[in-house]
Amino acid sequence: MEITLAHYLVLAAILFTLGVFGIFLNRKNVIIILMSIELILLAVNINLVAFSTHLGDLVGQVFAMFVLTVAAAEAAIGLAILVVYFRNRGTIAVEEINLMKG
Amino acid sequence: MIAANLPALQVVLPLAGAPICAILGRRWYGWLIATALCWATFAISVLLYVQVAENGPISYMLGNWMAPWGIEYRLDRIGALVLIIVSGIAAVSAPFAFHSVHAEIPEDQHRYFYTAFLLAMTGLLGMAITGDVFNLFVFLEISSLSSYALISLGRDRKALFASFQYLILGTIGATFIVIGIGLIYMMTGTLNMADLAVRLPAVAGNRVVDAGFVFILVGVAIKLAVFPLHLWLPNAYAYAPSVVSAFLAATATKVAAYMMFRFVFTVFGVEFSFDQMQLSWLLVPLALIAAVTGSLVAIFQDDLKRLLAYSSVAQIGYIVLGIGLATQDSVTAAVVHLFNHALMKGALFMALGAVMLRVGSVDINAIRGLGARMPLTMAAIVIGGLSLIGVPATVGFITKWYLVIAALETGWWEIAVIVLFSSLLAIIYVWRIVEAAYFSEPSETGATVTEAPWPMVASTWVLAAACLYFGLDTRLPVGAATEAARALLGGTP
Repeated sequence: MEITLAHYLVLAAILFTLGVFGIFLNRKNVIIILMSIELILLAVNINLVAFSTHLGDLVGQVFAMFVLTVAAAEAAIGLAILVVYFRNRGTIAVEEINLMKG
Repeated sequence: MIAANLPALQVVLPLAGAPICAILGRRWYGWLIATALCWATFAISVLLYVQVAENGPISYMLGNWMAPWGIEYRLDRIGALVLIIVSGIAAVSAPFAFHSVHAEIPEDQHRYFYTAFLLAMTGLLGMAITGDVFNLFVFLEISSLSSYALISLGRDRKALFASFQYLILGTIGATFIVIGIGLIYMMTGTLNMADLAVRLPAVAGNRVVDAGFVFILVGVAIKLAVFPLHLWLPNAYAYAPSVVSAFLAATATKVAAYMMFRFVFTVFGVEFSFDQMQLSWLLVPLALIAAVTGSLVAIFQDDLKRLLAYSSVAQIGYIVLGIGLATQDSVTAAVVHLFNHALMKGALFMALGAVMLRVGSVDINAIRGLGARMPLTMAAIVIGGLSLIGVPATVGFITKWYLVIAALETGWWEIAVIVLFSSLLAIIYVWRIVEAAYFSEPSETGATVTEAPWPMVASTWVLAAACLYFGLDTRLPVGAATEAARALLGGTP
C-alpha cells in the first residue's frame, strides 16, 4: 500500500485530537497539559511537512523548524514557571489551580 | 537611506536592544536603554504614519527578496495606527515603569524585565507591520512568550499560575493559528497576505479553506479574549506587575484585534467571511454577550485590576461587534475603539499602578478616601471611568456613537439597546470606584499616603488628557479609522 498525503493528515488529526483530549480530560497533572500541547504542535509539524512534500516546495519544512523552535521555547517557559511554583509551594497539584477560579 | 528603511528599523531597533539590555542593564541602565528605545520606536512609527497618510501604503521587501518568496512588510492606515498605539503606549509606560518596577520587582531581575518588555514590544510591532502570515505567527510567539514571562513576575504568588494559564491557552491559540495557516498554505502555495487575497477566491468553495478559516478565527479569538475564550484575561491582568497590566491591556488585545481585521477583511475578504461563512451570526451574539456579562461580572469584583480586566472583556465585545456588523460605520467604530480603548485602559491601569505603589493594594477598600490624598491619580481614574461609560467629550463616546449608528443602519435596533444597556452597567462599576475614592472615610493606611512620584502621575495624565482631547477633537483617530475601514471593506490589501 502506498502512503499518501491523506495518511499523513489522518495521523496528524489523530495526534491533534489526542492532544486536545489530553488538555481537557486531564485533571491531575499540569505537566501532562504541557505534553499535550507538544502533541498538538507535533501534529502541526506533520501537516506542514506533508503539505510541503505534496506541493514540492521546501518552505513548509523550513516552517516546521520554526514551529519546533517555538515549541521548545514554550515548553521551557512553562517548565520554568512550574519550577518556580514548586520552590514556592512544594507542590504543583492541580487542586491549587482551582484557587484561581472566580 | 534611513528613511527608506524605517519599516525594518521599527522592529529591529527594540529586537536588537533587548539583548543589549540584558547584558548592560545593571542598576538603572536597563530602564534607560528601554526608555530610549521606546521613544525612538515611537518617533519612527509617527514618521511611518505620516508617510502612509501622504503616499498611501508602504511595501518594504526585507533584504530585497521579492514578495511571494521573501518576507514583505506592508503598512497601510490601520497598520500604521496600531504601530502608533503600541509604541505610543510603550513610550508612555517607560517613565511610569521606573518607580513602579523598582517597588514591585526584585532589583536583580530589572534588566531581564526590561529585556522581556522590549521583546514583547518587538512582537506586537512586528505583527502590525508584517505582510506575511507565517511571519505574523513568529511575531505572535515572540510577543506571547515574553508576555508570559512578564506576567509571571507579578508580586502575588498567583501570578505564576495566571501566567501558566495564559501560557496554556495562548499556546493553543497560536497553534490553531498555525494549523489554519498551514491549511491555507496547502490550498494556495503562498504565505504573502496580498498574494493569499488574490488566490483564495479561486479555491473558496473548498472545505479545506473553510477549516483553515475556522482554525485561524478560533486561534485569534483566544488571543483577543472574545467572550467564551476570555478566561485567561482576568487573572493575567489582575496578577501581572502594574506596568505590565497597563502595557498589555492597552496593546496586546488591540494587536490581536488587528489580526482579526487582517484575516477577516484582507486575507479572506468580506465576501468569503460574511457571505459564505456567515461570520456576523457568530461574532455579533458573542460580542453582545461579552458586552453585557463582562460589565455584569465587573460590578461584583472587589479587586480593581480584576474589575478593569472584566471591563476589558466587555470593551473587546464592542470591537468584535464592530467587526461582526461589517458596515462602514461599524468597522470605523471598531478601528477607532482600538485607539480609544488603549488610551483609557492605559490610563486606568497606570492610575491603579500608582495606588499600588502608595497603598500596596488595589482592593476597593484600599482606595477609600484616596480622592483627597491622591487627587491627581483619582481624577485620572474618574476620566478613564467616564470614558469607559461613554460620556460625551470622552473618547468612549465616539465609539458608542458609531456603533449605535451602525446598528440602526443595519436595522437591528436591539443591538443599539444592548450596547446602551452595557453602558448603564459600566456606570455602576465606575460609580463604585468613585464612591469609594471620594465619599468614604479613609482606611488607616490610606490616611497617610501622599501623591505618587511625578513621572507616574505625568504618564497617567498624558493618557487621561488624550482621552479628553481626542474625545473633543476627533479628526485624527476618526479620520484614520474611516480611511482604514474603507480600505478594509474595499478589499484592497
